[in-house]
Amino acid sequence: MSIFTPTNQIRLTNVAVVRMKKGGKRFEIACYKNKVMNWRAGAEKDLDEVLQTHSVFVNVSKGQVAKKDDLTKTFGTDDLTEICKQILAKGELQVSDKERHSQLETMFRDIATIVAEKCVNPETKRPYTVSLIERAMKDIHYSVKAGKSTKQQALEVIRQLKETMEIQRAHMRLRLVLPAKEGKRLKEKLKPLLQVVESEDFDEELEMVCLVDPGCFREIDELIRCETKGRGSLEVLSLKDVEEGEEKF
Amino acid sequence: MGLTSLDKIIALQRNPANTRNLCILAHVDHGDQEYLLNLIDSPGHVDFSSEVSTAVRLCDGAIVVVDAVEGVCPQTQAVLRQAWLENIKPVLVINKIDRLIMELKLTSQEAYTHLQKILEQVNAVTGSLFTSKVLEERAEKEKEEEEKEKEKDGDQVYDWSTGLEEADDSQLYFSPDQGNVVFASAIDGWGFSIQQFAQIYSQRMGVRAEVLLKTLWGDFYLNAKAKKIMKGAQAKGKKQLFVQLVLDNIWSLYDAVVTRRDKEKVEKVVTSLGVKVMARDSRHSDPKVLLSAICSQWLPVSQAVLSMVCEKLPSPLDMAAEKVEKLMSVGARRFDLLPEQTQELKKAFLQCSSGEDAPAIVFVSKMFAVDTKALPQNRQRPLTQDEIAQRRELARQRHADRMTADQTATENKMESLTLKDPKPEEEEEQKETFIAFARVYSGLVKKGQRVFVLGPKYDPAQGLSMLPEGCSASDCVPEVPYLSCCSMESLYLLMGRELEELEQVPAGNVLGIRGLEECVLKSATLSTSPACPPFTPLNFEATPIVRVAIEPKHPSEMPKLVRGMRLLNQADPCAEVLIQETGEHVLVTAGEVHLQRCLDDLRDRFAKIEISASKPIIPFRETVVRPPKVDMVNEDLGKQQKVAIIHQVKEEVTQGRSSDTLHVDPSGLVTVTIPNRMATVSVRAIPLPEEVTHLLERSTELIRSLEQVNMSLREGKTVDVSLRTMEAIAGLKAQLENLLQGRKWRNAVERIWAFGPRRYGPNFLLNSVEGYQRLSVWHCLGRGDKAGEAGAAVIRDFDNSIVSGFQLATLSGPMCEEPLMGVCFSVERWDVQSSAVPQHQDSLEENSISHEALANSRVEGSTKTSSEVEGTVAGQSQARRRPEAASADCYRPVSGQLIAAMKEACRRAFQAQPQRLMAAMYTCEIMATAEVLGRVYGVLGKREGRVLHEEMKEGTDMFIIKAVLPVAESFGFADEIRKRTSGLASPQLVFSHWEVISSDPHWVPTTEEEYLHFGEKADSANQALKYMNAVRRRKGLYVEEKIVEHAEKQRTLSKNK
Repeated sequence: MSIFTPTNQIRLTNVAVVRMKKGGKRFEIACYKNKVMNWRAGAEKDLDEVLQTHSVFVNVSKGQVAKKDDLTKTFGTDDLTEICKQILAKGELQVSDKERHSQLETMFRDIATIVAEKCVNPETKRPYTVSLIERAMKDIHYSVKAGKSTKQQALEVIRQLKETMEIQRAHMRLRLVLPAKEGKRLKEKLKPLLQVVESEDFDEELEMVCLVDPGCFREIDELIRCETKGRGSLEVLSLKDVEEGEEKF
Repeated sequence: MGLTSLDKIIALQRNPANTRNLCILAHVDHGDQEYLLNLIDSPGHVDFSSEVSTAVRLCDGAIVVVDAVEGVCPQTQAVLRQAWLENIKPVLVINKIDRLIMELKLTSQEAYTHLQKILEQVNAVTGSLFTSKVLEERAEKEKEEEEKEKEKDGDQVYDWSTGLEEADDSQLYFSPDQGNVVFASAIDGWGFSIQQFAQIYSQRMGVRAEVLLKTLWGDFYLNAKAKKIMKGAQAKGKKQLFVQLVLDNIWSLYDAVVTRRDKEKVEKVVTSLGVKVMARDSRHSDPKVLLSAICSQWLPVSQAVLSMVCEKLPSPLDMAAEKVEKLMSVGARRFDLLPEQTQELKKAFLQCSSGEDAPAIVFVSKMFAVDTKALPQNRQRPLTQDEIAQRRELARQRHADRMTADQTATENKMESLTLKDPKPEEEEEQKETFIAFARVYSGLVKKGQRVFVLGPKYDPAQGLSMLPEGCSASDCVPEVPYLSCCSMESLYLLMGRELEELEQVPAGNVLGIRGLEECVLKSATLSTSPACPPFTPLNFEATPIVRVAIEPKHPSEMPKLVRGMRLLNQADPCAEVLIQETGEHVLVTAGEVHLQRCLDDLRDRFAKIEISASKPIIPFRETVVRPPKVDMVNEDLGKQQKVAIIHQVKEEVTQGRSSDTLHVDPSGLVTVTIPNRMATVSVRAIPLPEEVTHLLERSTELIRSLEQVNMSLREGKTVDVSLRTMEAIAGLKAQLENLLQGRKWRNAVERIWAFGPRRYGPNFLLNSVEGYQRLSVWHCLGRGDKAGEAGAAVIRDFDNSIVSGFQLATLSGPMCEEPLMGVCFSVERWDVQSSAVPQHQDSLEENSISHEALANSRVEGSTKTSSEVEGTVAGQSQARRRPEAASADCYRPVSGQLIAAMKEACRRAFQAQPQRLMAAMYTCEIMATAEVLGRVYGVLGKREGRVLHEEMKEGTDMFIIKAVLPVAESFGFADEIRKRTSGLASPQLVFSHWEVISSDPHWVPTTEEEYLHFGEKADSANQALKYMNAVRRRKGLYVEEKIVEHAEKQRTLSKNK
């Protein structure tokens, strides 16, 4: 048994409200869902696909339209379309479900791409593929934070992945040339920072080729510059120590 | 046909004359002689034709089975071709004749014509193989003659038909009267050759068997009145002899037994045939049982086929000299050019003797994996009485021990339990053992014997000169290329799935060898004599073309996958496995069915993990082109419209970044100022001519060594470079100068600053800064190194930052972060305010810093973030500079900023030109018959392929089509083309080059004609845009795409939540 009764509250469905406070007053416009972000990014070019109506409201859910005087006073024009565009560009909005979803997905991919670029399989010295990293990220239930930059999150992911799989950041190959006097002393200091010393040549100068973690680079650079007062030098031979070319079994 | 004892088989192996190498070991009594048949069954699917190749190599003869209803299929052709190439003799079995009776309901007369047609088809295939060979030989001969004739000029008349007429082909064809055709229905258990009927009827009709043999197949009929066999049955409307005497009998038998179920008639037939039928069979409700009971006694299929095999197929002793020469002469080398000792081996081949002194020659055609448990030495055998007693004793003792242990110390129990050694890990790895599938061609092979393993590139002449006289494999062997030694741990007789261990195997037999997995990858030649040449490689009908990337389900199982793929590679003759630079593990297989089997093998046997296969990552390149002269509808772009386009581009750029640090002028010159306003740099992007790009790509290795020489020179060291390298570098320079001509490129080669990306790519940086002289990349050639010293010292110190910025920009372009190709960046202006430069500078340090920045600044998709980075860097620098202005630290960010600025400038300059995507292309050769040509074109067209040319292969009805196809469209191509052409066309894909995709990914209609043609949104498929977006989506970059297309068409949420 159902009798149609008018409800005392009217919910807005499929409306995304964009608000803006300007000149001490609040203005709202009624837009379609999942469209505002596209408009801001420039993917949607048709304004009618974004706006439900070209009128500017004080309160969309109550249907109160803004007064013309207020509009001209705050925006300096009474062209509603122009005002709508301004509000669209600068107003605050609640991000809709699909928008958020696609944003997080894009970030997730981006993080995986960064991780795949920076890391190698330590056994084979070959990079992992992006899809493999993505799967590994899902396995450890990594959730993307929309507020943090993808690069920051990628470093976080690398740390977490190390626990479940064989992965490490690709090493940099450096060549250090140190003057003989400071050579020995400096070497002791550098030792904990160097991962692998590939070759070492000590005649007039100490020349070393070594692999280091990219995170330590700044530290090493600082150390050499300060300790040798500019006489020692450091050269990057390769940024990423990875295997190149195809390999057939 | 029962199982025979092993001893008997060993005894039979010694007699090569009675050996027929064909797989499942079977032994037949035939007349008085006993034969040993090595029968190798091979799969019929096209994807597994590699298995056929491996089998065919080891055989002397082959039974080709053709379906009586379907006739000659593509695979039949392929198989016949393979048999032909390997010089082995085929015999034909036409099977499933019962289908003609039961399914197609043909009359015996119709069936005869049908069978005749099939035979003709098969012979046509053989015939065309033969003619193409003859023509080829003739063409070769002619070429030689022509060369000779060149000096004299005689007007020779060439008659093409002579070659064919001279060659004898009568032995080649299948014909029932030759005795190399058997008609059979294996399901009902019958089969016959003409001979059998000829014998039966010669007694019954009193005609000589030889006469019947000749007339039983063909257009002959029996004149009952004259009691004569006459020619011309068809013309006179009479039944052929074959129909009357053979087919009619079979037809009536089927009619009586299966169709009408006439008990009386059946009995009559049974008695007339002299066959005994068991009461159980005749009462069976399924008439097929009765039928096969009768037939298998009347015309047993096994006997028909086996007697044909024994009579018609050659024994190892009859191996043709031609085949031996073909096996022994690798590649284009002629047999008579091989060393003398090697030629002598031919005798050993032909004799096929198993004497002690004959050199052992073995060919391994494939390696296959066997469960270690299945090996004979590991198999469980029934225990002898003694062993059982021994075991009982042991068990008793163990029991006693346990009792005492229990009594002494109960607490020790725990320890003893935990002490149980954990070795299952080790065992699991040894689960698969590789067995070589091989044949002995000469000599006697013994268990534990040491032999030479000859790789495919081994040269007997070289080997003989390096090895001492009379050296054997058991001696210590000096290093000879492509030669190694190993011992055969055990020899096996292959009995279907079973393996029987053998002590020795004489010549002419097929065997399995264990212990070769270390030195034999897929196939090899083994010999006791170093004079033996490696056999010609197997010719595979299908080459691997289906590529997939394989990944483990759980990333931690990577090592298991790698090991599994290694095993798979060894076990499968046709699968290829490789690791790409991107880290993908790629499996290349012959077809989808083959792929499926490889994946199953990996999952269940070799890797034992869950895996997933996906489309491999497809690489792209980014480039710029000259502004187009015509628009998308081929209308000439007028001056005005051109301006409009540029205006639009400019507007876009300035709208996006209306900042004061960036300026783009209409001609495409981009000027970027670094955030602290200490330096500006102006860059222009210019497309390189296609030939230059190709040249640079070809000489990657050379440029890399050039770069190394330069680097060491810069440090003041001298390196020894071979004269040849220097010449090659000079040659490259000359070629570049040759290609880069015209006003725009004046003196350009001298001004090349660097190559990129990674310092050796197909792009370069051009120094067009006025008044800035620097060492060119060619300075190692020793010219003008003094001139380079002059110039503004101020900016030289930042030289490296510019190069680094350029390297970064070329490594990942703005379209979808793929490397650039064929782009020249010309630096036209570059100012650095001297205050930015500190007093003491170390250019080496500069270098290091630039790289650091390089490492830290990941190429940002959106320019916003990178400008933020720049901003913070600048902020830091200023903050630091205030306290101590002249400190060594202050210059640091300037070089970093310069890198970012240079990169930004390059990207912007790139975007100011018309951008294009470059796709990797395969060249694709397709062999197809005339009927399916149209469908091949259809598939190519659908996948954006382009046909370069097509031609007919001489002497056959095959066309050879050469086409190019984007790699991006190649996934599933081979399979589709096979499906659409019912297997009559087979493509081969090889990577060839990069090609610019002509459509602009950022294109929108601008002119009126374009609006008319494409509409406002231009959403008709833009290939370049599709590729670009796919890559961007994969990498997680921003894709300009609407989340929902139509705002109004979204799902309406319920009112009350």
